[in-house]
Amino acid sequence: MAGIPETEVHEATEAAVKIKNLTVSYGPVPALLDITVEIPAGKLIGIIGPNGSGKSTLIKSILGFVRADVGSVEVFGKDVALVKGRVAYVPQRGTVDWDFPVTVREVAAMGRYGKRRWWQDLTKADFRLADEALEKVRMSEFANRQIGQLSGGQQQRVFMARALTQNADILLLDEPFAGVDAATERAILDVLQETKASGKTVVVVHHDLATAAEYFDYLLLLKQRLFGFGKPQQILDPQLLADVYEGNMKVFAELAEITSSTAKSSHPGNGGAS
Amino acid sequence: MYEFFENLQLQQGHFIRPLVAGTLVAIVCSVIGCFIILRRMSFLADAIAHSMFSGVIAGYLLTKMVLGGDAPLAAMLIGALLAGIATVALVGFVTRFSRIKQDTAIGIMYTGIFALGAFVISLDYFSRLIHIDIYHYVVGNVLTVPDEQLWLLAIVTSVVVGVVILFFRPLQLTSFDPVMAASIGIPVLAVEYLLTVCTSLVVVSGVQIVGVILVVALIISPAATAYLLTDRLSRMIWTAVGVAALGFWGGFALAIYSGGSPGPAVVVVMTVFFLLALAFAPRYGLLADWIRKSSSVPQEIMEDVLGSVLRSPGERVAITNIETNVTSPNMKIRRAINMLARQDLLEIDDDHVTLTNDGRIEANRLVRAHRLWETYLEQTGMSPVELHEKAHQLEHISDRATVDYLDDKLGHPIADPHGSEIPVDQTADSAEVLCSVLRDGDRAEIVQVGSVAKSTNLQAGALIEMGPRLENGKIWQVRLPDGSTCQLNHDQADAVTVKFLKNG
Repeated sequence: MAGIPETEVHEATEAAVKIKNLTVSYGPVPALLDITVEIPAGKLIGIIGPNGSGKSTLIKSILGFVRADVGSVEVFGKDVALVKGRVAYVPQRGTVDWDFPVTVREVAAMGRYGKRRWWQDLTKADFRLADEALEKVRMSEFANRQIGQLSGGQQQRVFMARALTQNADILLLDEPFAGVDAATERAILDVLQETKASGKTVVVVHHDLATAAEYFDYLLLLKQRLFGFGKPQQILDPQLLADVYEGNMKVFAELAEITSSTAKSSHPGNGGAS
Repeated sequence: MYEFFENLQLQQGHFIRPLVAGTLVAIVCSVIGCFIILRRMSFLADAIAHSMFSGVIAGYLLTKMVLGGDAPLAAMLIGALLAGIATVALVGFVTRFSRIKQDTAIGIMYTGIFALGAFVISLDYFSRLIHIDIYHYVVGNVLTVPDEQLWLLAIVTSVVVGVVILFFRPLQLTSFDPVMAASIGIPVLAVEYLLTVCTSLVVVSGVQIVGVILVVALIISPAATAYLLTDRLSRMIWTAVGVAALGFWGGFALAIYSGGSPGPAVVVVMTVFFLLALAFAPRYGLLADWIRKSSSVPQEIMEDVLGSVLRSPGERVAITNIETNVTSPNMKIRRAINMLARQDLLEIDDDHVTLTNDGRIEANRLVRAHRLWETYLEQTGMSPVELHEKAHQLEHISDRATVDYLDDKLGHPIADPHGSEIPVDQTADSAEVLCSVLRDGDRAEIVQVGSVAKSTNLQAGALIEMGPRLENGKIWQVRLPDGSTCQLNHDQADAVTVKFLKNG
């Protein structure tokens, strides 16, 4: 990949997900209203917004689970309903039964299930892919462990491996940092960044504004409507956040922290920011 | 009461038939049971078993009244299946469209449907028509299995086992992670219906053997036993089949030997198997759990050992010494020492131990936590008698944030109430620290001067050396290269970031 200039040209390449005028409703009040956004490929994107702002619905839309009232979702130029398997979902930790009798290697191999007919067995090549993915997330030595016997960060890695095995281009993670300690958070972030480096698009639902700027290339600020999509400095704008969070004091305390830390971190390098 | 002995006499030499039937039921129940317990549907299986009783009656009566003559088994089977599916559908409906939760919905629906059937056959008009031995439906009867029922069993077993083999991956994935399953295009709902139909089939066939009430045991207890013994779904299914077959044969033998009823005997044996697994399973058994817990060394004892080694005079410390200083059973102390050696914190030679470099840092950290806690407790007004004991408990709360908080709150003390020096934090991974943690004689380079300390004559880049603290440690003295000194209070000292330079 040498020779490609690291500039705007590279960034403007391709949209991984193209959402156009998307409105989704479960009742009289729409969960998502008129969302139009293009999520660029090969980036780490954070979806932020208050509770009940439609973050999960947006994730479900990108997975093709919900019927849109209006609008469309395209994944790499194809209608999401016709695309199966290009989007991998990494579940919230709390939604998985960690006592399920399944080993790390078997979970990684589940990524291949979509590639085989339901009566076909997985092939040796499938398991090789699973092993390679485990290698990538540095979980090979745990391949035969039952998944409940891993730490939180390791469990997240296994699901990342499954997403890699799936050979999906887009990874969706729902609150991967919820309820993990700082070391695990760091470890998960490393995996996310490695995954991005391998050319995948990583979309993460995130609730901690204080770390959002540091973790993501782009932020998508959501509260039923799209309040902003762009570089963290643009999105973590006090006025914008005030609109979305409506005077939530805790958020403003965090905000003070962020603005001071971004101010600090922006002056040494990154001179070429547009 | 029930013609068991007569049957036994009649069927001498015909045990093959009940054995085949029972084994088939055991296999098919345990296979489907694995999915049922993993999807937490046990109660639903129970519900299907009860409501199918009404289905059997409905099938019987309808064929009898419409067609006349005796009702074929197929009609009863279809009735049972429909009743099972109706139960599941009703439960689903109530759960989805009302605020009633699933367990309540199941409880209402199956008892309701069961009661309807029981009421109908209690009416004179219908009871004249019906010749179902209700007792058989309650406890089952494996000894008198007619040909057509055996055929039915064989068909159900092959269908269900075939479905599980063919759809193994969709069944596994929808049980484990339905969202992922849906995202790769597996029809999750259809798989669930498939499983429900299979469950109904299995229940209907199991009822012949052990009856309405006990069929649930046949479905879930071998599966639960296997669940305690294995770490993979495929192995869990094989194990469950084995356990179920053994359980059936064991129970059947018990019944023949004791002259009791086979259905309950089978369930008793299976329950005993489950209890054995619960107690003795290699990984998930209670005994294994207990052994693991008692053989692991609590972190506290390891920390106590480290602390004791650090406090002992001399580098090499006799293990017997540690044993007198630490109040834990000697066996645990030995294990703690071995564990510490494995973590490269201690070196053992003969019956002496020495701290490694890492061990010294770790022990220092603990002593620091202990002495800071003591200082803090003294400030809260605790009596000196309790002080040490309490600090000893609290030193195990030694995470960085807590200890740093104490240190700052106490004004970065140098000595504890007994006058012992509080060690400095050696675990800091960056060389940059606050000026306030520096001690007499430390040398450092100033990195940043915060606004609180702007009024002093300290500048970033200056090399400084610390002097002794003044006024009970409340004033920090900083010597500058030009020979001048500068005095800082706590806030100012906290505002100055320095790069620590090693002494000497």
